[in-house]
Amino acid sequence: MKVTIKEWNAVAAWRWDMPDDDVCGICRNPYDSTCSKCKFPGDECPLLLGECNHSFHMHCIFSWLKQESSQEKCPMCRQPFKSKSQDATAAGAEEPTQAPDSSPI
Amino acid sequence: MFASRRLGKELTKMQGQLPPGITLVEADNLENWLLDIQVLDANPIYAGETYRLKFTFSQNYPIEAPEVVFVKDDTHSIPWHPHIYTNGIICLDLLDRSGWSPVHNVESVCVSLQSMLTSNTRKERPEGDENFVRYNTQRPRDINFVFHDNKV
Repeated sequence: MKVTIKEWNAVAAWRWDMPDDDVCGICRNPYDSTCSKCKFPGDECPLLLGECNHSFHMHCIFSWLKQESSQEKCPMCRQPFKSKSQDATAAGAEEPTQAPDSSPI
Repeated sequence: MFASRRLGKELTKMQGQLPPGITLVEADNLENWLLDIQVLDANPIYAGETYRLKFTFSQNYPIEAPEVVFVKDDTHSIPWHPHIYTNGIICLDLLDRSGWSPVHNVESVCVSLQSMLTSNTRKERPEGDENFVRYNTQRPRDINFVFHDNKV
């Protein structure tokens, strides 16, 4: 018997490499879900891990850190919040400013 | 919206279960909630009393702290405490801009206030209570409290 595949649809699932039941301490949404402002999970709404090993949705922790009252401290342990991978912070922070440059004139 | 999704989650959880001595009285909207707290140990200052708390949330909650005051009405008084003014305003670092953290929530604030009362032995008002109550026109979040006293 010969089977001819005419069409196939691949479906994939993904999740962040984080404990299953954990939620972001700021928005209380699961890490695999989005922050309270985004619609779609994934690269558009990434997580940020601090040097103190506390992680949050990047948008959530940025909302907090830009408040003067946060004194740039981690909401969990009150140590100065520094991203563990400095690249991630830089990329996230620069994204909005870079976007206009990349559009063709 | 930041506040509404997070408050919705808190509400669902609180409608399920709350720690002893904490009751959700009213949460009809996402701006003002009323909760009752009781002190459950034998502290004679608070025995048998129920105190009512009013939470006011900004649209930026939990990035911004909620405003939390004790409410006085026919059946609820303002608890005696050296850090609670006669008008219900509470001086607690947790509720102040400098001490708030977005990982706190309504339930944890209630628990903190319960423990603030439980551990108190002084049936007193803060120093300057009379003047503060008469002349203060600021909202609690705009007052610059000085947290000088860690003993109570």
